[in-house]
Amino acid sequence: MSQTLTPPAPRVVAATHDPESRPITQASLNDDVLKLISVPGKVWWAVFLFDLAVLAVALVAVRNIIVHGWGVSAFQRPVMWAVDITNFVFWVGIAHCGTLVSAVLFLFRSHFRRAVYRIAEAMTVFGVLTAAMFPAIHTGRPWFDYWLFPYPNQRQLWTNFRSPLEWDVFAVNTYLTISSIFFLVGLIPDVAAVRDRAKHPLMKLLYTLLSFGWTGANYQWKHFYGAYLFFAAIATPLVFSVHSVVSWDFAMAQTPGWHSTLFAPYFVAGAIFSGVALVINLLIPIRTTFKLEHIVTIDHMEKLAKLVLLTSTMVGYSYMNEFFMAWFGPNKAERDVFWFRATGHYWWAFWIMFSCNVVFPLLLWFKGFRRNMKALFVLCLLVNVGMWFERFVIIVTSLTRSFNPANWFYYKISITEIALIVGSFAWFFMFFLVFVRVLPAFSIAEIKETLTFPRRRPHG
Amino acid sequence: MIGLLQKLLLPPPPRFFGVMGLFHFVDDAAAAVTALRQAGHQDVQVFSPVPHHEIEKALEQGPSIVRWVTFTGGLLGATGGFALCWYSLVSWPLVVGGKELVSVPPFTVIGYESMILLAGLANLLGMLALARLPQIRASAPYDPRFQEDMIGIWVPCPPPDTARVEQMLKGQHALEVQVHA
Repeated sequence: MSQTLTPPAPRVVAATHDPESRPITQASLNDDVLKLISVPGKVWWAVFLFDLAVLAVALVAVRNIIVHGWGVSAFQRPVMWAVDITNFVFWVGIAHCGTLVSAVLFLFRSHFRRAVYRIAEAMTVFGVLTAAMFPAIHTGRPWFDYWLFPYPNQRQLWTNFRSPLEWDVFAVNTYLTISSIFFLVGLIPDVAAVRDRAKHPLMKLLYTLLSFGWTGANYQWKHFYGAYLFFAAIATPLVFSVHSVVSWDFAMAQTPGWHSTLFAPYFVAGAIFSGVALVINLLIPIRTTFKLEHIVTIDHMEKLAKLVLLTSTMVGYSYMNEFFMAWFGPNKAERDVFWFRATGHYWWAFWIMFSCNVVFPLLLWFKGFRRNMKALFVLCLLVNVGMWFERFVIIVTSLTRSFNPANWFYYKISITEIALIVGSFAWFFMFFLVFVRVLPAFSIAEIKETLTFPRRRPHG
Repeated sequence: MIGLLQKLLLPPPPRFFGVMGLFHFVDDAAAAVTALRQAGHQDVQVFSPVPHHEIEKALEQGPSIVRWVTFTGGLLGATGGFALCWYSLVSWPLVVGGKELVSVPPFTVIGYESMILLAGLANLLGMLALARLPQIRASAPYDPRFQEDMIGIWVPCPPPDTARVEQMLKGQHALEVQVHA
């Protein structure tokens, strides 16, 4: 039996979110975010099919590597780690921003994260999925990749726990697991809102399963936020440890240009730098296409731009510190490698890296530049080009010029590696394009918390 | 096929006995919870699109105990990670370069990552268990407006009490009252 006693009160809710933008109410927020989840139009399908076509080309390259071996690429001793490990480090780095925005800024109570963290978190999960492909292929015999994991076997053989490469297995897999859990748990209340509106029975079933039957009961919220705080608390040291471990893949080797204690903080700062830049690249088209400028405001974008500026200065400091230490230190091989980086065969890669990561981001000191979305978009694209080249410069220049001049080699990229680079972007965007259309790309529950709630009596 | 899956996974809602009041104003809902609890209804459930501190206070909810589950998971993970490294070397001793078999610095990385992995998994399982998720059988009647802008207060009570609870909820400015008897 249902009985309506009084007509519903007018839903006038003052928005404190951004007074300059159009007001947001609790109900309008659901409408705005959930409108992304609809039957995709022709443009989406065109982009998606193009993406799959690019991915198909990359899969041909992967097939050739698996069938014929790494000989189909330009890898030769001593440069056996080149584009694939560059891609690995690049994509793990991209992934880091998601955890920074969702976990670290959550602990710092930075409210601007609420509008942007879901996109960043999705980027983390898809970034790690992309990164994990490269070591898996790079082993040469990917059907034996399970040897990387410690498991009880007949001969009592275990993996080498003293090897940084084994640390990587633990770090990257832990990161993939925890970031996926963090992403899916954060989605639960929002997926419940999607479930309630889903029309197609199959979609309703999918959302019911993903929402775990969430109802928004007080005992659910209590343990949800209890656990969320701890997810943030454990993801924070994880994000710093993962890229530190990735950097130790290099720093533990006695190769000139790699063997440095600076590597862990240098890599972490670089990871956040490229990750935030990619978040900006993803957010700008989404907020414009779906007219969500009142949810992801220009202030939010400016704060992200400031993070790019901050991490750019940290990366710039690290570049200069490396050169200073090479000059100041006693190691001639180290000095030679750094001189080679800036002036040798790969001078162009070094200067692309330096200009994109240190010089161009200086424009972000200007407020007008930070608030100009077109300019910011182009700059962030350049930052990601620069950050890819950073990993290329670190890996390739050190390997081509090791201690023994007899081993020196000039690595020239082949079509196989180019297919892998382009394919990695296609693989990432395949997940991302589906995500934007299937799951809520903005956190309804968390943005709702920033609104002023309707009260009969004034607060206090 | 879809219909069969739905029948299996989404059973029809069970029958409930009690009264559901729907509120638009947060302070009304918090006052209603306080009044209901003072009247002896300790088992009220509140449904809302976001958690509200006022309502949590009225419900006298303490902090979640999920932290202890997480802590236990972390402790087991760290111990397990170190133990795995130690066992793998002791079970097949292979001395390299005259160095100690058990070397703590590299094992710290494995122990640390294992600690985080198990703490995260324990946190997830603890949260799901305590929040009674996945919820297969609904604990109260559900309204999709709970995910938008309405706060629902469910007061389970036997049919003879429903009229009294209904009047209480009306007195607390409920926008809508649904009686399940």
